[in-house]
Amino acid sequence: MKATLDLSQLTKIPRVLGAGLATYDGFIVDSQFVHGYDSEKFGAMAAKIMTQIQKSLGPESGAVILYTEDVVFLAKLKQEGILFVLGDREANLGLIKIKFEKM
Amino acid sequence: MADELIMDSKALIFATLADVYLSSGMIDEAISILKDGLARNPNYTLGKIMLGRAYYLKGDIDEALKILKEIYELARDSETENLYLGHCYKKKGDYEKAITHYQAVLKINPENREASAELEILKPQKKEPTEEKMTAPFEKAIPEPVALPREEISAPTEDVKLPSVKEFVAQTEEPPKEPSPVKEETIEATLPLPELGLEPIPTKPAELISPMEALNEPMRHLLEIKSVKGSFILSRDGLLIQNYYQGRTDLEEIGALIAGIFNEAEDAFKFLKCGQLEKCIIEKKEETICVITAGESLLCIITQPEAKPGLVFLYARKIIEEIRKVLG
Repeated sequence: MKATLDLSQLTKIPRVLGAGLATYDGFIVDSQFVHGYDSEKFGAMAAKIMTQIQKSLGPESGAVILYTEDVVFLAKLKQEGILFVLGDREANLGLIKIKFEKM
Repeated sequence: MADELIMDSKALIFATLADVYLSSGMIDEAISILKDGLARNPNYTLGKIMLGRAYYLKGDIDEALKILKEIYELARDSETENLYLGHCYKKKGDYEKAITHYQAVLKINPENREASAELEILKPQKKEPTEEKMTAPFEKAIPEPVALPREEISAPTEDVKLPSVKEFVAQTEEPPKEPSPVKEETIEATLPLPELGLEPIPTKPAELISPMEALNEPMRHLLEIKSVKGSFILSRDGLLIQNYYQGRTDLEEIGALIAGIFNEAEDAFKFLKCGQLEKCIIEKKEETICVITAGESLLCIITQPEAKPGLVFLYARKIIEEIRKVLG
């Protein structure tokens, strides 16, 4: 099993603010974020939401995409942990999703 | 889809895209794409019907009528053509033509509820011209009453002696010797004359239509997408408001769980100061759940995993506008 994923595949997409991998209890394994964004907070949030989804809708629930007024946030359960990406609202979500699913 | 249009300039796919735009309330976009498509395919009758429909929805009745009349000979068997011609004539006040077209719709599709409803409304109005003859003094109207809207009764002329209020009430209180359903109905209609200082008699209230019915049409378009399994509307606290998902029994439970997840994510984003949560897609193995905020409510759409979220959100836009109007 690989220890980490190549997050630069995600972070090199224009307007992506950062990506990370967190454990199921919210600790960061690896992250690449632009200045001003706290990867630990987003990792904790990803873990919290994914755990809630799994508890509510079952263990086969794989991924979530959340849109706010300012950002778009994707999180996905992986063998290595919880992979998450934060992008600007103007980012190409389709492209992020393709890369995200391939990882 | 817009890219596909550019790639294949002869494609008739523009009509499909225009239909999606119309269903989503994007009328100007629909008109633009239809004009562009019809410039390349001038003999495409369906496109012209849709353009007529688009102009009608925009409120440009003259333009809609002009386009629909132009192609009437080619599309006289089209349900939509007749329906929108009916709507246009109705707006223009030409009720006879409107009725003819609504009747044509029902011949093509007897289950068209829109045409049936319009016919129900229009048929009494069509009678108006024949009933305008009733200008006789009011006393004569009692023995031979005719069902007539109050505002259609002309005021009595000066040389006619009107009965006093008491006389009039006494006359009307006397039961007719040979009562017939027609007469009873007529008296009800002719009684509340303001000239006589009588209070209007309350008429039967019109059948109440649920405000949620406004959602039926846009929701039908959404549910027509093959990959959409169903949809429902929730309050933010997880209570079911309206269900459009047939054959699923655990919706209340799922609704509560989805609202829980949504609220939790919203709280997290507020804490991180990343703005208000607008929508969310939860991907499960066997289905995808799209949740969209609609004012104080949540619109949940359950689709198959292969559904195109962009298309789903496009259709959902119109529904959300309606939900905001109805539920705030």
